Amino acid sequence: MFAITPNTLSNFMISLSRYVILLSLALISVSIFLIIFLENDYYQGISFKIMFIHVPTAWLSLAIFLVMGISSIIGLIFKSPTAFTVARSLSPIGLIMSIIVLVTGSIWGNLTWGTYWVWDARLTSMLILAFIYLGHILLLYSFEHFQKADFAASILAIIGLVNLPIVKFSVDWWTTLHQESSVLRLGGPSMTNDYLITLLVSFFGIFMLTIFWFSNIFYIIVEKRKIERSILLND
Amino acid sequence: MRIIKLNNQIKKRFIFLLIIFACFSASIFLISYSLKDQIAYFVEPTDLKNMDGIENKYLRVGGLVKTNSLKFLDGNWVFEVVDQNQNSVNVVFSKTLPNLVEENKGIIVEGKFIGNIFVAEIVLAKHDENYMPQSAIDKLKEEGKWRGN
Repeated sequence: MFAITPNTLSNFMISLSRYVILLSLALISVSIFLIIFLENDYYQGISFKIMFIHVPTAWLSLAIFLVMGISSIIGLIFKSPTAFTVARSLSPIGLIMSIIVLVTGSIWGNLTWGTYWVWDARLTSMLILAFIYLGHILLLYSFEHFQKADFAASILAIIGLVNLPIVKFSVDWWTTLHQESSVLRLGGPSMTNDYLITLLVSFFGIFMLTIFWFSNIFYIIVEKRKIERSILLND
Repeated sequence: MRIIKLNNQIKKRFIFLLIIFACFSASIFLISYSLKDQIAYFVEPTDLKNMDGIENKYLRVGGLVKTNSLKFLDGNWVFEVVDQNQNSVNVVFSKTLPNLVEENKGIIVEGKFIGNIFVAEIVLAKHDENYMPQSAIDKLKEEGKWRGN
């Protein structure tokens, strides 16, 4: 892992990216068909279908932060430029994901709870996660040298890791308006199999899209640094 | 010789990060532990029994709408919020209820006690984490396994 240079990883991911985006588009189309033809929930009616965007993006916004935090740890300990670049290219995706979670959650909340926003533990900790993503991006672009930026931003990512279990378990630790987890919980999923399969197809579609997006951002960062370095050498 | 030196540096950095992380998570834990009553979004009717001075205090009470208690009387919604220990609170609400408020379903009421009656200013429906189509419920009912209403 530490021997991989950013260049190798970037070339590897770009060579696979056309298959990744094809797989992603296929899975997303299948999931859209499944979502359209799925039977409504007995209680919430059609409004529960927003779950098939809300839940995958919520999982991804947490998973992306976990990867970001771990690669920041690896980057700081082993001084690995690859790990720093992974963290750097993940934060914009995570920010977009968490904004999608907050917006779809607000819409869903207004349809079912009767309010767009409340300050309960789950919603607040998710908002904090979005702000940590934003802070990470701002830190990355507020230094002249990218090594310094990477150092500062990784400290933030590692500190931000504390927030992940709070987001995940907030619904179990405190009373919240938000319902508890339906899939990743003790005792198995609390939804019927047709809903679960649709959710997983939708998740893998968005996951593949994330991978595609990530490899493109990674590629752009690596190529930009190559150009900058060649300009420096020519001067 | 160089490898040993590198390992030492890695160890130092690792311990440095571990200390940062441990201190930060400990502080977050202490903050959230001491504020746990404020972080909790609502209290259950059972918790109200152990609380003093609930009169004129702005509260959120959560639970299920008791079966056969939801009525529309003189322009007000009247119902009981009940929890697992069968303790209940009588609630009056004068505005429109959210669509999903039904008997035997989750609810959170926000307002104040006036005497023994909880006068709600905001009512939110709290749905649970179970999702299933009507057909699955019909099937469960046929098999006699359905426990809802």
